Parts: sequence; structure tokens; C-alpha cells
Amino acid sequence: MSGTTAAAGGHHGEPGGFLRKYVFSADHKMIARQYMFISLFWAAVGGYFAYIIRWQLAHPEADIPLFGRPIGPDEYNAFVTMHGTIMVFFVAMPLLLASFGNFLIPLMIGARDMAFPRLNMLSVWVLGAASALLLLSFFVEGGPAAGGWTGYPPLSARTAYVGADKGMDLWLLALALEFASFLMGGINFLVTPLNMRTRGMGLLRMPLFVWMVMIASLLFLLSVGPLVAGAVMLLLDRNLGTSFFLASGGGDPLLWQHLFWFFGHPEVYVILLPGLGAMMEVMPTFSRKTIFGYRPIIVAVLVAGALSFVVWAHHQYISGLDPRLATPFSVTTILISVPFALIVFALLATLWGGSIRLATPMWFAVGGLAVFIFGGLTGIFNGSAAVDIYIHDTYFVVAHFHSTFFSALFLAGFAAIYYWYPKMFGRMMNEALGQIHFWGTFLFFLAVFVPMHLVGVGGMMRRIANPGQYEFLAPLSGLNRMITMSAVLLLLSQFFFAFNFFWSMFRGRRAPDNPWEGTTLEWTTPSPPPHGNWPGEVPQVHHPPYGYGLPGAGEDWVPQHRPAPSGAGAGR
Amino acid sequence: MKESGAHGSPYLLIWIYLVVLALASVAASIVLPKVPAELAIYFLALVKAALVAMYFMHLKVERFFIHSLSLIPLALVLVLFLGVLQDVVFNR
Amino acid sequence: MSTAAHASAGAAESTPFPSAKLGIWWFLASEIMVFGGLIVSYLLFRMAGPGWSAELHHNSTLLGTVNTLILLTSSFTMVEVHRAHGRGEEAKFRLHLALTILLGLVFLAIKGAEYTAHIREGLVPAKSMFWAFYFGMTGLHGLHVLGGIVANACLYAVAARPGGVARYGHRAEMNGLYWHFVDVVWIFLFPLLYLG
Repeated sequence: MSGTTAAAGGHHGEPGGFLRKYVFSADHKMIARQYMFISLFWAAVGGYFAYIIRWQLAHPEADIPLFGRPIGPDEYNAFVTMHGTIMVFFVAMPLLLASFGNFLIPLMIGARDMAFPRLNMLSVWVLGAASALLLLSFFVEGGPAAGGWTGYPPLSARTAYVGADKGMDLWLLALALEFASFLMGGINFLVTPLNMRTRGMGLLRMPLFVWMVMIASLLFLLSVGPLVAGAVMLLLDRNLGTSFFLASGGGDPLLWQHLFWFFGHPEVYVILLPGLGAMMEVMPTFSRKTIFGYRPIIVAVLVAGALSFVVWAHHQYISGLDPRLATPFSVTTILISVPFALIVFALLATLWGGSIRLATPMWFAVGGLAVFIFGGLTGIFNGSAAVDIYIHDTYFVVAHFHSTFFSALFLAGFAAIYYWYPKMFGRMMNEALGQIHFWGTFLFFLAVFVPMHLVGVGGMMRRIANPGQYEFLAPLSGLNRMITMSAVLLLLSQFFFAFNFFWSMFRGRRAPDNPWEGTTLEWTTPSPPPHGNWPGEVPQVHHPPYGYGLPGAGEDWVPQHRPAPSGAGAGR
Repeated sequence: MKESGAHGSPYLLIWIYLVVLALASVAASIVLPKVPAELAIYFLALVKAALVAMYFMHLKVERFFIHSLSLIPLALVLVLFLGVLQDVVFNR
Repeated sequence: MSTAAHASAGAAESTPFPSAKLGIWWFLASEIMVFGGLIVSYLLFRMAGPGWSAELHHNSTLLGTVNTLILLTSSFTMVEVHRAHGRGEEAKFRLHLALTILLGLVFLAIKGAEYTAHIREGLVPAKSMFWAFYFGMTGLHGLHVLGGIVANACLYAVAARPGGVARYGHRAEMNGLYWHFVDVVWIFLFPLLYLG
């Protein structure tokens, strides 16, 4: 056994000193908060970039307020690249996987800490270093990377190209460090639930969020390798003059696309699954019903995860991919909608007939599910090669992946924040502000991205700085301005969240142990939990999670650590 | 495995096998014509890797779960190879 | 429900594997994908082109063979470290650990001599696709060897203390799993870059 496992963490006192407690902490709850603040910082930066991008598209020649001047195509590319990189790698993964994974896994399975606390601390510090490199890349000669978040060669492979100077090297190094951070985190997220469950917590009694984080980590560990190899080759191309990805020297730019998307598609699920997992926790609690189809959901996610390794070329239909490969990849891509349909229907069936409590977390979870269904359906269009050849690299694709990413990252992410904030910070968030935040976010999200499908079908391409240059896009300029107005309002709605988040931290109502009447183990300990997670013994588990709506029980719910009342049956 | 025999290490025999196989593959690359030589050296590399994995890394006495941690990535590497084969090798 | 049914008695729930071993195997699974991606790229380019036998035979088979034997031997000494821990033989533990570190350093020294000779001849990574792969693959592998040497040196530092072997000796198995994996990678790089 590793000597560093913190099974005995509860027996040591709380580490003293400001640095040990807030900065160099090995406590999973503090690390979770560090990840959360890193990701919220980057979310603000990424949101600001989204605003610059949208303003530029609506008013290409005008000065951008809060930026001061119009931007040209080169800068536009840099902002698009950084917006994508930041949102995928520095917001989505740290927030959903790392922050909530760290905070909840030990609390949900009844462990005192993660399996490797010091590795955990290292992972957040490596992410901090990656963040510093990415920040630095804004200020180096030649500007930040502008090759798109996918960094396709040949544009990314020679330092002489615009937007591929030192900023691109820093971008690659930042990504490499980010991957290293999540490799370390992923090992923790897999080993901790496998080896550190409390008595009675069988694998099939773990809350679904833990399963989702485990499967997401598994997908990440198994998919990132080829991209690491590709990143090494790209760094050699850029700095030592090799030609792995340059056709002029005998290389092949398509190889990078294969290596990137072999990682890139599983990565979509790395981001999506923890978000879905948060919905799977919130929905039973707020509809007072047990989850519908616990085991089928796990099987469906495993199947979807396995399929995600054989769909990657659907991102490359018009990249020069052999057309005979397009059909098999279309088939596997559309097949993947089967397990996800099962998951969506299981969540809808969980809501069906429940006594629903519409608090902020539930609004966000239901809204997130609705948007996810919608984004998933447009994915079927993109996945079939014949349709994709028309809509590829248009705003239809942009609207599609924002529907899936925004629902998983922000709607489900906000559901998670509102739901677990009391446990994390010991105070309740303001409910009225939360509901305003939800309706602003949800409605303005729809106002941005539903019309964007029309813009895409109308033929507007991604990554153009000035649609005014194209005569055939002129009829879309009204829609573009309307989308930009909605995007601004969407971003302004987030100030309700920002204020609520920081104000509640100091002035919010003190949170009871179990404000939402949840059944899983994290609600059996004080808010916020002490060092070691439970003041006394770690509770023992007697039945599966989600023991809601039980007729024999005094209340309508039985927490996992309480033996089921006779005749009630504890839910399945 | 590791507890057997008070004298002499059971791993010594594996090491001797490995050295012999390594030298055999060098010899094959020198003596044999091109195609049989390539077949021989890659086959011998597989045997050597299997010996290290089975005995030094104890996969011989490990359970299914640990086996799957090494076999699933290998299967995925094969999937990657087959998926990229057409584009990089035949369509250039 | 079978997992949950017999899950109420006794200690906390876990798999039969120690956490550290499980963690190192997850890590190795991801490492297989890193080197797998690199080797797949090599094979594809090699199949696509006319073959690299001329450039490949520019490498010294002798030095490659010596390095192969060094790494194979270091794997043997590494597994002997693990065996010594199981049998409580402290002196043997330290001796074989030191030998493993030394053999790793000799491997890197020979690799460095080869690099120097190649670069003097103008065989730099930009020279051709083969040399790009040669330096890319052996470079990444060499960094892994270096990482293994550092990990083993850390283990030696704590094992050299009184009672250190009893307290930290179990780490030899984890270091060993990693070290053998690096050896396995070389077992494939050797024919790919020197013999084939």
C-alpha cells in the first residue's frame, strides 16, 4: 500500500499556517476550490474573448467597446484560437472533472481524502504552470497562437507563418502541461473510487457522478497519448526543422488531424460525462425519485465511451480523408446516438411523475438536459458525411458544438455549483439571484445559438473576421447583429452569478448539513466538511443511492448510511 | 514465482533468455535475407517484450483487471493504425 | 447487485490491488498510447515511402546491441531489487538499485555518444524523415530513461537511511514496473531503428 494514502487523514489535525492550508494544500477540498477558481478566472477571460469575437462579426469595421479598436483577421484568429483552447482545456476540464471530481469523489464514496493527495496537489500546480504559460503567450513577440484550437499543420508547423511564432510553442507547452496535470488527476479519480470506498459502498452503490468521472478519466488516459506523440512531432517540426506534418518534406498534415481527433472525440465525452453526472445527482434529489435505470446508464456510458474511439474521422470529412472511410465513420457516429438516447430517456423517466422542486440547481439541470438533447440531435446532421460536406466549417457546426458544450459545461456546471456550493463553502447561494441568472443564461443562450444554425445553413463560414467582405453573406448581417446583442446579454447575465458567488461566500445564509435533503454521503457531514471529511467515524453504507419517495419511511427519503425501514425497500 | 528457490534467482533464467534472443535477432538481421530477417526480428522483439511483461512485470501472476490495462491500450493502438492506414500510406 | 450484496462486513471496500500498483498501471496504459502513437506514425511513414534501410544501417548495430543488453540487464537488476525487498535483504536491495541506476546512466552515455557522432556527420533531425523519427523516438525514450533514473535515485536516497528499505522498499515494485515498461519500449525501438 502506498504510504501516502490519506486513509488516516482524519487522525492528523488540520495542517496549520496560511500557506499549508490555502496554497500548498493536499486536502482534496482545498484543491477542488483551487481548481474552481482557476477555471472561473479562465471562464471570465474566455467569455471576454467570445464578446470580442461576436462584436467583430456584427460590426466588423467599428471600434470594439471595452477593447478600444477594431481587430484585423490575424488578431481575430488569435482570439478564436484562445477562446476555444481556454474554454475546452482551462475551463471545462478543471471545473467539471477536476474541481467537482476532487471535491465529491471522497465525500461521495466515504473516503478521508484521495488515494494520492500529494500527486493531487502536484496536478493543480502543474495546471497553474500551464495557465501561466498560456497567459505569457499573449505577450510574446508575434502574439498568441492563431492556428485554431485544433492547431492544424501546416499553418501551425512553421514559425514563419502569421500567428504561429513563439505563441504557438507556448501554446503547445501549455497544453502538454495541462495533459500532464490531468493524467495525474485522472489516476487519482480512477484509483480512489476503486480502492477507498467505505464499508458497504459496493461499486454499484456509488453515486452516478463518481461513475461518470471515472469513465471520463479512463477515456482521457487512453486517448491523450497519440496527441502527446503528435505534439512532440509538431514541436520538432517547429523548432528542429523536421517535416512530420509538412508535405514539402515528405510529411503528411492529415496525420496530425488523425492524432488530434483520436484524442479530440473522446475529449468531448471527458467534458460531457461529469456534466451529465451532475445532472444525474441533481435530478433525483429535486424530483424526489430514484434514478431510472442506474445500471443501464452505466452500461450505456461505457458503450458510448468505447464507440468514441472509432468515430474520430467524422471531423475530417472534407480534409482529404479517403471517401471510402467516410461511410464507416458515419455509421459509428450515428450509432453513438443510441446509448446517449438511452441516457437522455433515463433522465426524462427520472423526472416523470416526480414531485419536482424547482430550485436553481434543478432549473439548470433541466435546462441543460433540454439544450443537450437539441445539440445532440444536430450532431446527427454533422455526423453523416453527405450532410456534413455541405455544413462543415459553417456556423451550423459552431452552433452544434456550443449547444452540447454549453449545456454540459455551463448549464450542468452551474447546476453543480448551485447544488454543491453550500457543501463547498458552508453558505447558501441566493435563490432569487440564481433564478434570474438561470433565465438570463437559458433564454439568451437560445437567442444566440438557435439563429446561429440558420446563419450556418445560410453558408457563413467559421473563422472569418469580416463577413461584410462576402456579398452572399449580406442578408445575414441582421441576424448576426441580433446574435451579438443576445451574446452580450448572455454575458451580462453572468454578473448575477459572479455577484451571487462572491457575496454568498461571506454573506450567504449558513448552510445546514443537508440543505436539499439529498441521500448521498456528502450530505452526512457538516458544511463545509472538516479536514478528514467526517468529524467522527466514516458512515457505513446500507443501500444504493437515491433512496427517494419511499412510502414506509417517515420522510420521503432514506440516506445511504441509514438502514432502510422495514418494508420500504430502499430504491434500486 | 518470486518465493521459489532459496538459491539463485528465478529471474536469472529469464535474463539469459532475453540476452540470447537479443543476440539472435541481431544475427538474424545480418544472416537472413530482407523479408525473413524483418519477420524474425519483430517476432523476437514480441517474444522479448512478452517475457519482460510476463515475468519482470509479473503479468503472469496478475489478474484479469491488470491484464486489461495493458491489452486495451494495445487494441486502441491497432485501431489508430488501421484508421490512419488508408490516408497516410495509400492515398499520398 | 452481487457486488453490493456481500459488501457490508469488515473493512473498507477496495479492489485486490494496492493503490500504488493500480495507479502505476493506469499511468502505463496511457504511456502505451503515447509510444503507440509514435510507433504507429513511424510504421505508416515507412510503409508509405520506399523504405529507410540505407539510413537505418547508418546506425551502429554494435552500439545498439550493447545498449539493448544494458537495458535488459538493468531490468534484471531492477527486478532483483524487488525480490530483495521481499526477502528483506537490505544490502542486496541497495546494491542492485545502484547497479540499475548505473546501467541507466551508461545507456544514456552511449546514446549521447551516438547523438554526437550523428550530429557531427550532419545527420540532424531535419536531414530526412528517418532521422526525424530516430531523434524523436529515442529522444522521448531517453527522457523516460532519465525519469526512471531520477525515480530510482530518490528511492536509493530514502532506502539508504537506517530502516529505509523496510519502510520504502515496496516502492521498488512501482519503480520496477515503470522501468520494465521503458525497457519494453526499447525492445521495439531497437529493431525499428537499428536492425529492420
